Amino acid sequence: MNDEQVKIKVTGLDFFYRDRRILTNLNVRFERNAITALVGPSGTGKSTFLYTLNRLWENIPDARMSGTVEMSLGGLWRDIYEGSYPVTELRRRVGLVFQTPNPLPMSIRKNVAFPLKLAGNRDRRLLQDRIEQALQMAYLWDEVKDRLDDDARTLSGGQQQRLCIARALVLEPEVLLMDEPTSSLDAAATEIIETLLVALKQRFTVLVVSHYLDQVRRVADCVVTFPDGAVVSNSSETR
Amino acid sequence: MNRFRENALIGVSWACGLILSGIFFLLVAYLAHQGAGVIDVKLLFGETPPLQALLLQQRVFDGLFPAMVGTFLLVCLSIVLAVPLGVATGIYMAEYAGARVKNLFNLVFDVLAGIPSILVGLFGFALAIFLHKHFSNRIQPCLLISALALAFLVLPYIIRTTQAALEGIPGETRLTALALGATKPQNLFHVLIPQSLSGMLSGLILAIGRCAEDTAVIMLTGVVVTAGVPTSLLGPYEALPFYIYYISSQYAGPEELLRGYGASLILLLLCTMLFFAAFLIKKRLTYLALYRP
Repeated sequence: MNDEQVKIKVTGLDFFYRDRRILTNLNVRFERNAITALVGPSGTGKSTFLYTLNRLWENIPDARMSGTVEMSLGGLWRDIYEGSYPVTELRRRVGLVFQTPNPLPMSIRKNVAFPLKLAGNRDRRLLQDRIEQALQMAYLWDEVKDRLDDDARTLSGGQQQRLCIARALVLEPEVLLMDEPTSSLDAAATEIIETLLVALKQRFTVLVVSHYLDQVRRVADCVVTFPDGAVVSNSSETR
Repeated sequence: MNRFRENALIGVSWACGLILSGIFFLLVAYLAHQGAGVIDVKLLFGETPPLQALLLQQRVFDGLFPAMVGTFLLVCLSIVLAVPLGVATGIYMAEYAGARVKNLFNLVFDVLAGIPSILVGLFGFALAIFLHKHFSNRIQPCLLISALALAFLVLPYIIRTTQAALEGIPGETRLTALALGATKPQNLFHVLIPQSLSGMLSGLILAIGRCAEDTAVIMLTGVVVTAGVPTSLLGPYEALPFYIYYISSQYAGPEELLRGYGASLILLLLCTMLFFAAFLIKKRLTYLALYRP
């Protein structure tokens, strides 16, 4: 890929948890508006790596990192670990979807509105529009539009995961990180989410950790193997 | 053999649970049996007309009404003093304290939880004397001093349950809001505390029960046999547990002893009412924090 297409540059990344080394001198670049799959055996630091891209690891005790992560955010290259760049701002631009759906114990509407409220948005009209837009994008709107005030935990597993995706999308991030988003779902729910992923890459740069090789073959434009960070292109011929 | 052992273990566990709940029901039934018959208007208000007593227009001399009001005020006051401090400390312990500070404070709060209440009472009494000498001679053992001492007594329960509730939240839930751009205080107030309210409630219930039943502390810090309905924080007051203690050690005949049972039953009902109030407050707070549209 040429420099124009690069969205994220990771240079010399080392990661430690307690005294255990998780990632060693990782150098990798990610393409914008593409789906990159992160694959590799369990325990090779794929989830941890996602956490270094939104600095979430900083909230885990006894973790340590060195190296640089640069991203093109709002059309500007930034070192995301630069002291002057607020971490809350970074996390609004780099959304994360966890492995198991984690809706908060509140209504569907409030779940999706939650990140906007955190960011200080109180305008009801705007909230309403953005909630609908995000749920549409996550292919969930038609299923929940009549029950927005129900508790989010009454949804099925697949719906909950799409709700979490909508919640990550409502802030209109530039990068979307997904940690095995379909591992707790059945085949039908997985298929919906895969279609959704492919649709999302029009607008976002998507990184997805996956254990399923057929899934990787179906959706990914590019594959990064762990623990070494080697890039394998997933060209259309091999798909 | 293993199968037999397992069944035996299940049997014993069942029996223990059954025995304990049996004892509880026996206790309540006994109290109700002894006390229910004596609870009437006269027990509560003596010879004073109830309406005038309730409106505080006439003093009740030979009834439990002043002790009920005294205990109610005492519990509320102690809880109001202890909860903000206890919850804040619990939050600090769970979310902000470093490892070394945490170890030290854990030890301190464990010791605090183990202090006999009579010592806390003595401490309250000493405080009253100190304030009387050096601050104002209007200060004497009184409702406020008792409430302060009781608040001190129940602080460890509130701290501990708050801390445990927060620490029990799974790691992923902790990261949910942070990954969505929440600051640490936002995460605390929008996610962690609302999800800990049930745990905090159990601490509150323990604390209410302890404040309502404690006799040792209040004996040394301001409770008296007759004072009427308390009119000032700085005056003496009556309380139900002290009345029960007093009656059971000084009763002149079976009838007077029965009044003690009546008072016990009323104390139990008062506690139930306070527990229920605590539960409603928790429910309301959860609604406000999580479900308000």
